[in-house]
Amino acid sequence: MRPENYKPVRHPPSHEYELYFGPNHPGIEGNYAIRVRLKGDVVQEAITDAGYLHRGFEKIMEERLWVQNVALVPRICVPDPVPMEESYARAVETLGGIEVPERAQWIRVLMLEMSRICAHLFTFGGNAATIGLYTNMFWGVTMRDLFLDIFEEITGARIYHMYITPGGVRRDLPDGVLDRLAAVLDELERKKPEFDDLFFENAVVINRATGVGVLTQAQALAWGVTGPNLRACGLAHDVRRDDPYLVYPALKFDIPTATSGCSLARMHVRRAEVEQSVRILRQVMERLRTVGGPVRAHLPNPLAWNVPAGEAYARTESSKGELAFFAVSNGGPKPWRIQVRGPSQMHGVQVLERILEGARIEDVAQIMFSLDACPPEIDR
Amino acid sequence: MTSQRASVPAQLDHILHEMSEVRVTPKGERRVRVDLAADRLPTLLQLLKGHGGFLHLSSISCVDWPETDEFELVYHVWSYESKMLISAHTLIAKSPGRFVSVYDIHAPAGFYERDIHEMYGVHFEGSPNLNKFILTSWHGPPPMLKSFDTRAYVDETYAWRDYNPQWLKDIAAKGGGIEE
Amino acid sequence: MSENAGSRNPLQLRDQPETCRTADAEERSAWQRVIGRFADNCRARSLFVLHYCTGCGAIELPPTITSRFDMERVGVSPMVTPRQADILLITGYVALKTLKRVILSYEQMQAPKYVIGFGSCTINGGMYWNSYATIKQLDQYIPTDLFIAGCMPRPEAVQEVFLELMRMIDAGKANAWRDYYRNYDHYLANQQALFGPQWHTPTDIVAEAKHYGLMGPGTTGPHTRLLDQHAEWALDRIPEDYPERGENERSER
Repeated sequence: MRPENYKPVRHPPSHEYELYFGPNHPGIEGNYAIRVRLKGDVVQEAITDAGYLHRGFEKIMEERLWVQNVALVPRICVPDPVPMEESYARAVETLGGIEVPERAQWIRVLMLEMSRICAHLFTFGGNAATIGLYTNMFWGVTMRDLFLDIFEEITGARIYHMYITPGGVRRDLPDGVLDRLAAVLDELERKKPEFDDLFFENAVVINRATGVGVLTQAQALAWGVTGPNLRACGLAHDVRRDDPYLVYPALKFDIPTATSGCSLARMHVRRAEVEQSVRILRQVMERLRTVGGPVRAHLPNPLAWNVPAGEAYARTESSKGELAFFAVSNGGPKPWRIQVRGPSQMHGVQVLERILEGARIEDVAQIMFSLDACPPEIDR
Repeated sequence: MTSQRASVPAQLDHILHEMSEVRVTPKGERRVRVDLAADRLPTLLQLLKGHGGFLHLSSISCVDWPETDEFELVYHVWSYESKMLISAHTLIAKSPGRFVSVYDIHAPAGFYERDIHEMYGVHFEGSPNLNKFILTSWHGPPPMLKSFDTRAYVDETYAWRDYNPQWLKDIAAKGGGIEE
Repeated sequence: MSENAGSRNPLQLRDQPETCRTADAEERSAWQRVIGRFADNCRARSLFVLHYCTGCGAIELPPTITSRFDMERVGVSPMVTPRQADILLITGYVALKTLKRVILSYEQMQAPKYVIGFGSCTINGGMYWNSYATIKQLDQYIPTDLFIAGCMPRPEAVQEVFLELMRMIDAGKANAWRDYYRNYDHYLANQQALFGPQWHTPTDIVAEAKHYGLMGPGTTGPHTRLLDQHAEWALDRIPEDYPERGENERSER
């Protein structure tokens, strides 16, 4: 309703105009905004605007005990929470010199790869929705729900598991969950041709996504891009292989790459990564049937932990790229400083701003989704 | 593993011998800690990038040390070739809290410097954009400083919801209840 | 006759000679009740949720809306614009910066409108009880019909709250939006306490309250008077911190 004292505002000539893309916009990933200056429908300049999801994690983690933060860390990245738990736990383990039992390491890899598949399926759905293909979103989300059921069975929660703690995992796997996971993986593989048919062989996708949002390898290296976005430019870098953690050296998997660095190439890399994750999960499930032992190192009362002074930089390959936790302890019961290096802090801000220049307005949402930026990770 | 540990300083020797007053501490597989004076840091990053292949600035961390009135800046650089992470630690005085930007060496520094400027108030000379980013609605001091007490701020700014159900009163009557 | 044609005030029709029977006040209110009851019943069966992911709870909305839990079968579906939406679902914690947008979106929505607080963070701060950046009680800033406890609530809980909201609308009990008009000064006071005395939105809530006939003793007060001081200023130019602008740009203007 128009205010009583309404007075029209004079606007500048409208061949060049500014548009607020988000935060209240269905094409934006999460609660995030991009201010785009347009000429016609071509983006002249894009300025990202974050902070809508700022919770001050780094501050409130300093106010809580080391073990209390286990509940806090998965909330930093909503679609892909497990790598957060893993990074934090590994940072604490490095500081305290804690050895993780072998069975716990295998379980952690199981969780990490399931989380990667979930995040990629979600991105598939979101990416397709930005170019108007809603069926894909329905299928992707439904398929992801099958994995969430397995998560729920193992940890008791669908989204925020709080399962990986310093020294291992909270509890052992329930009986028979590996068989059910195998059935879910079979279902995923059975559905794969249908997904391909719907997305990668779809003329709409090919026409809209090929050659859009191109990132060259030189640009990607200069701007600190990691993860699938870097691999889509042809550099086979993966923290799982190059800076290995847990039992990844004992696993066989490939690092998929593409060369063109466009939106479609990034989605192809993610598709291949899902295949590799399935391959890893099959190996892990086989090993979990034979490897026994405890799932948690013997540690003192968690409420009385005083982690030895020092600093640790724990890197993990999340579904978005290189995730790192920098933890500093002064020997006290609470962390002195924890910094979160989320991969989206690179490709969701500076890189997004730069590759949006010259893009068309209808491709803005698609480019953002194909980069898979995760706003809560940027805001923290 | 021991051979790798021993080889870490050897790989860096040809870079680090050009710089004096640098303390190198291997921190485990693929992790090296370097301590140096603040004015040498850009030179180190430049040398590491040019001669050591440390192309990827993984992150810049800032740590507040109120006892000595200093900020500790940590630059984490990763080499795709030698697969090693060097964390260069340096200390700067809290006042005036100024440091030089390394944006021209590593472009990702733009984001981290902006973030540290916002959260700690450190000014980076030559950084391309130090405008507010996340905290545009915030008018208080830089929140990550140890001197900022978030609990006291919350108590002062927000009201707590009254929560005193009957079952809690019953427990309190028996000597239990929520510990404050 | 020509005089009557000139004065089109329907209230004067009663003074006319009885060309047709006119309803007295009691009868009219009975009719209104019947029509209102019918409208509420219809309204409860077609609800549109504003597509605004304010926090992490948004991750459970796609499963709720898509094939598995499928809220569309009971008549709830997402809507992209605030003007056409009925429900504002606040999915989780609300940071200060988001709260401004939430209030703007809420005021843009057309009455009747309903607010659901999703997750513990909207009730008492939840996980982030000691965070400087998030608000602790959503219903201090906008009137809230229902809350879902938990972190994170499951899709079944979201479904349950939608069904409960439908029952409430059907019974004519989901009236929190009227409270925003009747006690606007109270809500504005809380908003101004966070954002400063210059806080205002483009929507003229007091004029809307007059339009809907929802003026109450708390509609205007000391805080709405502050709005009048800024009214001229507000329409001429965009205030400095709405929407957020960089410092560079501020100096340009």
